[in-house]
Amino acid sequence: MKIRDVVIGANASIFYRLDFKKIKGAYYPKTEEDVDEVLARARESRLGVTVKGGGSGLSGACTGGNAERFIISTLLMNRILTINEHEGYVDVQPGASPDDINEILEPRGYKFYVAPSSRDIATVGGILNTDGGGNDTWVNGTMRDNTIRAKMTLYDGRKIVVDHKGVRSNDGALENELNRLGFTLNDVASSHGTLGFITELRVAIRPLTELEVVGAVAHFDDATELGQTLTKMIAAKSPIKYGEALVEAHPDIREDLQLPLLILQFPEDYTDDLRTITDFTMLQPDEVERMKEIRIKLPKRNPREGIQLALFEGYGIHDQSLLKMQESVDRINELLISHDYKPFAKYGHAPSKWYVGSNEPAYGMVMHSREIKPEGKSGHEVLKAILDIVDLCDEIGMTPKPEHKWPYGDRIKRARLEKIREVVGQGFNDFIFCDDCGEMLGSMV
Amino acid sequence: MVHLMSFEKCVRCGSCIKFCPLFTAREDEKFTPRAKTYILQVWDLLEDDEELAKEFRRLVFQCTMCGRCEEVCSSDVDLLHIYHEQRSKALKTAPQEFEYLEALKKSLAESKNIYGLDQEDRAVYWIDELIDEIPDIEDRVYEPGKTAEVVVFLGCLMSFRSSQMDVVRSLFRTLERIGTDYLVLGADEFCCGHPLYLAGDDEGAELLRSHNREVMQAAQAKTVITGCPGCLIQLKNYHNLEGIEVLHDTQYFDRELGRPPTLDDSEEFAYHDPCELHRIMGVKTEPRSVMRKVGVNFREMDLSCCGGGGLVRMTDPDLSDKIAEVRRQKEHLGDTTVVTCCPSCREQFLSVGIETRDIVEMIDEAYQKEEE
Repeated sequence: MKIRDVVIGANASIFYRLDFKKIKGAYYPKTEEDVDEVLARARESRLGVTVKGGGSGLSGACTGGNAERFIISTLLMNRILTINEHEGYVDVQPGASPDDINEILEPRGYKFYVAPSSRDIATVGGILNTDGGGNDTWVNGTMRDNTIRAKMTLYDGRKIVVDHKGVRSNDGALENELNRLGFTLNDVASSHGTLGFITELRVAIRPLTELEVVGAVAHFDDATELGQTLTKMIAAKSPIKYGEALVEAHPDIREDLQLPLLILQFPEDYTDDLRTITDFTMLQPDEVERMKEIRIKLPKRNPREGIQLALFEGYGIHDQSLLKMQESVDRINELLISHDYKPFAKYGHAPSKWYVGSNEPAYGMVMHSREIKPEGKSGHEVLKAILDIVDLCDEIGMTPKPEHKWPYGDRIKRARLEKIREVVGQGFNDFIFCDDCGEMLGSMV
Repeated sequence: MVHLMSFEKCVRCGSCIKFCPLFTAREDEKFTPRAKTYILQVWDLLEDDEELAKEFRRLVFQCTMCGRCEEVCSSDVDLLHIYHEQRSKALKTAPQEFEYLEALKKSLAESKNIYGLDQEDRAVYWIDELIDEIPDIEDRVYEPGKTAEVVVFLGCLMSFRSSQMDVVRSLFRTLERIGTDYLVLGADEFCCGHPLYLAGDDEGAELLRSHNREVMQAAQAKTVITGCPGCLIQLKNYHNLEGIEVLHDTQYFDRELGRPPTLDDSEEFAYHDPCELHRIMGVKTEPRSVMRKVGVNFREMDLSCCGGGGLVRMTDPDLSDKIAEVRRQKEHLGDTTVVTCCPSCREQFLSVGIETRDIVEMIDEAYQKEEE
């Protein structure tokens, strides 16, 4: 075994203890031709393929499960291919990160408006496969809303181009069949690498606007008051340009903050309207930046004693669960504590937007969570805690964060992906559809 | 404070990957900080594989120790400490795999300098060069009984390398001009121990340090200055020089120069911040302040490694050259002269044909122009 074949398993999820002997090849292609070559080799060897971006995601999809497989990293496919300011797009290879793209665009006065907190390393191919976004999905939408088209290579080597209307392919029969199914970018979004290898993306860019915004912080007695305020903002379509809620934080990282609170940036002329929804204190720009800094570092900081982990990274809190948010948070904490996890931090984008399996948008708060890791838990005990959380989400009407839906039965999305895979073929991340997917993941915790 | 298990704090987010000069140069994920901490996190799954263990021992020496990963890490992973600890462990576990370090260790044990040259020659080469210009220079060399306010710790590179002679000349001329009461340790200066520290040999490093400590105390120095950031790390952090102030030469000159003459020169230089100076020792403002005082027109380079740190020049010279070459291309260094303040960085840039100057040379040049 070579180190190269081991380190390709490195990823930010709790599923990182792989059976490395089953990784039969680690590849870092630079071009579409390189990808074709690797896929041909995979077919020859009758091995499945897993595509990995920056490995910053928390779903574990980039591990590829536990079967013998190739892992293909897109880290070196990071070129910006075309910039068309006039028509508002750039063509990029899938391994470019939002920061890579914006480093080129911003001096030209343009920006790609998808900004997850991992935008320095998360790749656009990976972000589309999880339909990620950032704190501003409320304003700018998720990755699917900012993707114009994707070129993909299927396991058997056939090529397709997918956009929001349908599919084009040199293979007429394939094109017809996929279009008959209504295959669009909505299907690629959040597919967790199960359909094919995205070799190129056309993503939307817009002028870099220096919109004058003001900063403020709103404090709440409890999470329910926060949730009710967010519900009002959503109903009023508040033009919040940046919204981040800090719900709870362990004393080691809380600094002097009084939680829950909501950090907000909005156009100055919206100030009076916002006051009709919630009370808040205006902040100076440096105060806003300080609070943003605290927020952006939360997912990576550790307690003074012990180590944090993202047991279940995201809860899509909306509608009733948002209106009774403190109850939702309390139930989550009770469950965590019953499994010996000490709550460490809860925070997230609010108001926010995401999509459910039927491709309908949902609005609310994507609450991220971090816990202090207990000693001596087996992988299967950890997985049990996660599955209990999934049940809790079902019970109280929360959507497990989009990135986390796939292993736990977003039945609509899963059924849809299975139907499409009948046409495009298998070979990519097959483990997600196996009955023992949960067991497999448990072995990697 | 030792954090034996601090690699466990790594959340594998990957934010360190694109900053890593080794990844940029080699385009292979195995060289990245995340890869190294990941290997340690899953070591229990791998430890039976002796070939892989051997590859990992080599890998921990393929790092420039520039510290940029630690700087960007939001999880407070003490990466430099981890690399140091793993190097030390690798040397103890399989010394036969590091025979190329034996020559260095032998030189330091026997000759007290990295080149294995006669220790008595430490103050010979540059005295020969400078004696016409500074006739009393020999009096500046320490002997038992001599004392001075300031001790100059030249370091091995500046003592022995002809490529550093212009910097040494500029340093002494400037000290003379501003009337510093100083001594150079000469044959009584042992290597600061930094190369051994980087190799994970703390015991060997301490033997060298203890000698230097005694000499500097005997010289009754109030201040020790050095132009080498590696020496600065050792002198300031590991020599336990109680009551003696330790400064990089740019810090000293920034404090002492007042209003020096200025260069009236339109040439634009590129300033390379030595990683060990700005990132590890936190000396950021003084080099720039000195350059501004003497009117150096400079642009900032990316805050990344020259490729010469962490013993990589010795453990993997091809990798070291590649890092420098990538930088030359990325930063469009073509005809631009790089200004820096580290003899090791200078050697690295010179080795790939990039013209360099030390800040001390720029100070000297400003005075020379005024004198002319």
